[in-house]
This record gives sequence, C-alpha cells and structure tokens, in this order.
Amino acid sequence: MTSLRKWADRLADLANHLTAALLLSMFVVFILQILFRYVLGWPVLWTVEWVTIAWLWGILGGFAFVVKTRDMIRLDILYLAVPRGVQRAMDVFVGLSVAAIFAYTLPHAWDYVTFMGIERTAAFRWRFDLVFAIYIPFHIAVILRMLLLALGGVTGNRDTDGPAPQTEPDTNV
Amino acid sequence: MFDPFLLSMVLIVVLALFGLGVGLAMMCGSFLYLILMDLRMPRGFDPSIASEQLLQGLYNGYTLLAIPLFILAADIMNIGSLADRLLRFCQALVGRFRGGLGHVNVVSSVIFSGMSGSAVADAVGMGKIIIGLMTRDGKYTPAYAAAITAATATVGPIIPPSIPMVLYALVSDQSVGFLFAAGMIPGLLMALMMGVTNYLIALRRDFPTDDAVPARDLPRVTYQAFPALMLPVILLGGIYGGVMTPTEAAAVAAAYALIISIILYRSVSLSAFWGTLKESSRSAGSIGMLIAGSITFNYVITRENIPNELATLLTGFDLSPTGFLIAINLLLLALGCVIEGGAIILIVIPILIPTVQAMGIDLVHFGVIAVVNAMIGLITPPYGLLLFIVANITKQPVGHVIREVWPFILALFVSLGIITFVPDFVLWFPRLLGYQG
Repeated sequence: MTSLRKWADRLADLANHLTAALLLSMFVVFILQILFRYVLGWPVLWTVEWVTIAWLWGILGGFAFVVKTRDMIRLDILYLAVPRGVQRAMDVFVGLSVAAIFAYTLPHAWDYVTFMGIERTAAFRWRFDLVFAIYIPFHIAVILRMLLLALGGVTGNRDTDGPAPQTEPDTNV
Repeated sequence: MFDPFLLSMVLIVVLALFGLGVGLAMMCGSFLYLILMDLRMPRGFDPSIASEQLLQGLYNGYTLLAIPLFILAADIMNIGSLADRLLRFCQALVGRFRGGLGHVNVVSSVIFSGMSGSAVADAVGMGKIIIGLMTRDGKYTPAYAAAITAATATVGPIIPPSIPMVLYALVSDQSVGFLFAAGMIPGLLMALMMGVTNYLIALRRDFPTDDAVPARDLPRVTYQAFPALMLPVILLGGIYGGVMTPTEAAAVAAAYALIISIILYRSVSLSAFWGTLKESSRSAGSIGMLIAGSITFNYVITRENIPNELATLLTGFDLSPTGFLIAINLLLLALGCVIEGGAIILIVIPILIPTVQAMGIDLVHFGVIAVVNAMIGLITPPYGLLLFIVANITKQPVGHVIREVWPFILALFVSLGIITFVPDFVLWFPRLLGYQG
C-alpha cells in the first residue's frame, strides 16, 4: 500500500508539471493572440482552439491525476462533525455509489468519444475523438479513486485519499 | 417507482453532505438521472448525453478561459513584492487616520480588487501581509485584524475583474464587460461602508493611528507603487476601450504582473514562477470540476423544465419585484452560510434566471446582487471560506474571528440593501458605457 501511495504521489507530481505546462501554454498563446490580432492585424483561429483544448485537458487530466480527493471543493460540515466510524461508513457509501455510476456510464462515454471521430476541429483539423480522449482516463481515474475511498472506509486506514479538514483555499472565487 | 429526478437530487445532496466534492456529486447525480430515464424510456435518453454536455460545454465555453488566467495573475501578484509596495502606498495615503491600518486594509483591498478577480486571492496575498502589520506590537487584536481582512476581501470580485461575474455571465448569458462595469460603484460603496465601520470601532476602542508618512516621502512611495497601480487602469481601459475581451484582459493582467515582478521589482525567480503555475493549475482544475459538474446538472434541470416551472409558480404568487428580491436575498444569504460562493452562482442562480426575467428585473443588476450575496456568504458562519482562511493565517479560533466580523457583515447588509433596491445605482456606470438595460 505504501509503495502504491509513493507511486501515486510521483505520478501526481509529474501530472502537475504537465498541467502547469498547459497553463503556461494557454497564457503564452493568449498573449500571441492579442499580438496577432491587434498589433499585426492578422486574424487567428488556432489560438482560441489551442487554449480551449488545453483548458479541457487541464481540468479533466488535472482532476484525474493531480487534485487529491480531499482538495476538491466540498461541504465538510457534516463529515467533520461525526465520529470516525460514521465517516468510514460515509466513505464506503460515497465510494461505492460513485464508482458504480461512473462504471455504468463508462461504455456510453466511450461511445460518445469514439463517435466524435467523424468530426474535426476548425483550425488544427484534429479529430475530435482525440481532443476528447482525456475524458476516458478521467472516467477510469474516478472509478479507481472511489474504489480506494471505499476500501479505506472498510479497512479504516486513515491515510487514504479521503476528505480532511479544509484549512487551505482550493478555489479562487 | 421513484421519480428519477427526485432520486438524482437526493443523491447529489447526500454525496455532497458525505464529503464528496460538489462538482463530482453533481456529475454523479446527473449521470444517475440519465441512467434511470434511459431505463424507463430508452428512446430520447442515453447516458452518453452527459458526456456530450460536459465535453461540449467545456469546449465551447470561451468566456470561462478567463478563469485560469485570472487565477494565475493573482497568484503571480502574491508571490512578488507587488503587494508590499501597494501596502506602503496605502499606508502613506490613509494610515494617519484613527484606526489607520484598518483603513489601509480597506483601501489596499480596493486597489487589489482592480487587479484580481478573487476574494480568496486577496485574503491570502495582501491579507497575510497586512494582518502581520496590524498585529505587530499588539496594535490590533489578531481576531480583529483577521475579521477586517476577511470582510474587505469580499470586495475583490465585486470591483472588476471578477471570477464570480464570469461564472454568472456563463449561466445568464450576459456580457462580461457590462457585468464588470456594474460591479464598480457597488464595490466602492461596500469599501466605504467598511471604512466607516472600522472608523466607528476604532473610536470606541481607541485604536491607534499610524505614524504619518512625511509628505516628502510621498512621491517616492507613489513612484515605487506606480507600475502596480497602473494595472487596473490598463485592464479596465483595455476592456472598455474595446481593445481586448475580458478573457484576453486576464492574460494581459498575468503578463503585466509577471513582467513588473520579474524585471522591474526583481522579486520573482523562474522557479518561483513555475511553482505558481503548478499551484494555479491545481486551483483552476478544482474550480473547473465545479463548472463541469454544473454543466451536466444544468442540463438535467433544463430537461426537467424546472427553471420555467419555478418561474410560473413564483409569478403566480403575484409577488412584487421588491418582495421577490427580498426573498431572493434571504434565500441566497441562507444558502451562503452553508454553500461556497461559486457553487451558489453555478447551481442556484440558473434555476432562478427565468423567474428574474419574468419579474422584469434587469439581469445585469441581478448579477451584481447574486455575486454580492455569494461574497457575503464567504464570511457568514458556519461555513465561510474566508473566515477559515484568515483564522488559519492568524492561528485564531474561527469563533473569535466570527465575533469580530459581525459589524462588517452588518455594513455589507446595508450595502446589499442599497444595491438591491436602487437599480440605477448599479446600472448607471454600465449605461454610461453603452449598456441598453
């Protein structure tokens, strides 16, 4: 379990470098767009497309591999107020029900993503099944993480990926 | 059999209360709705619709792209010495009055609001520094310093730019530019109210004045803060001068903050910048999930025709717009006590929009009301995100901060009243810029 955790942490850090790179690319491309459009007077299409795709991959990829379950935006008043035993029961319920619903939906998600292979993006002419491909790892990651959450609830292992008291901000609203 | 819609809503609430992220809970509830509807009538419903809505919604949400960039801009400002220099400027400006550092807190929040679109960024960046100043030598109690910092941070997303306004633009289909403009005067009013509150408390408790900065130092302090002070001007000028869209303005804000921090102030290293990118991308991903969840959820409530049915129901009560607005304010404030601000705007507001339209209430005006409510919700107990943040910075129990924050909540209520019942007060500025409402 510990080696699995270490491995997961390393993967999360690597993925975080990738989401940082995606954000940097959004930033740079937006500046280029402003330069092209207002300084040079060239209309550009690819910039918006790139930024949108980076945003999509950043959210779904970031959620799948970087954001810890406990860092999600959530209400924890009730969770923190109940004894550990009840928390474990909650974890098992949440983990199993979410994993089940996502598992049932997975083939449908796969259908939609592969179906979109018939269309291409406007500027890069990339196939949409590739643009939307990140949705599948996202979906699978949710299922796996929720199963781990339920497992942590069953075994009572506190160090699992479950919610912890929220003291640091995760949203920037 | 159970009603699929009801069952899904119950699931969302239960999952959220059991500690699952709100975004994921909404996604799950929407998936369940489609699964159950598909089992009941296989034609017309298909669980793959959820995937389609989510992916297309994110892919076509151009306005939303401002959010990660505003987050990045605020994070860059917070790692550099930009906040320090602004504070010194504010201290020179208002430090000499009774309760001086409290006023510095208010004024610096106003200036920082013109650069960042986030209350949280305001509290963790500028807030952390000014709390340090206020509590040094025991001038102010840590609880008071924390409370006024949390309260003034709520101005951040009212004065443009603003991430919550971008979220509202998404659900209401209004122009981000006009929404930004509409927040300007209300934001200044809120700041003024909090300045007055601080002054009254300072008189009663005999808070110290700060040493007046000598007049001959003023030009130097202003000069050092000048590049930072120019950012709001560039941003707002750019947006209203028609040079850039609000989304592009977000990128410009980040670039400008980066350039002055690295080149002019020499206060940000490349490795610190990379660390900021990692952190910003995490925050952006977290709020992105909330948006993704709300996209699927909004599909479900639209499919069930809930917003329109609610509009028919509520207009049937023959409520006057005033009565309706009072009810909405009470509802949003109550929700704000337990739900995070962004979630209120993404989940509750879309349900209300058709009713608001049927009542003949201007949607830009309503946007400001909604965002101000959501921001007050950030400092109302028991669940006020800003309260937790400042309590964490000052290492004070949240209860102590809550005791000190009440007068400011009251001041914000008064502001909210004016904002709600004097539409012209809100709409005057956007109209000046060409808004036809």
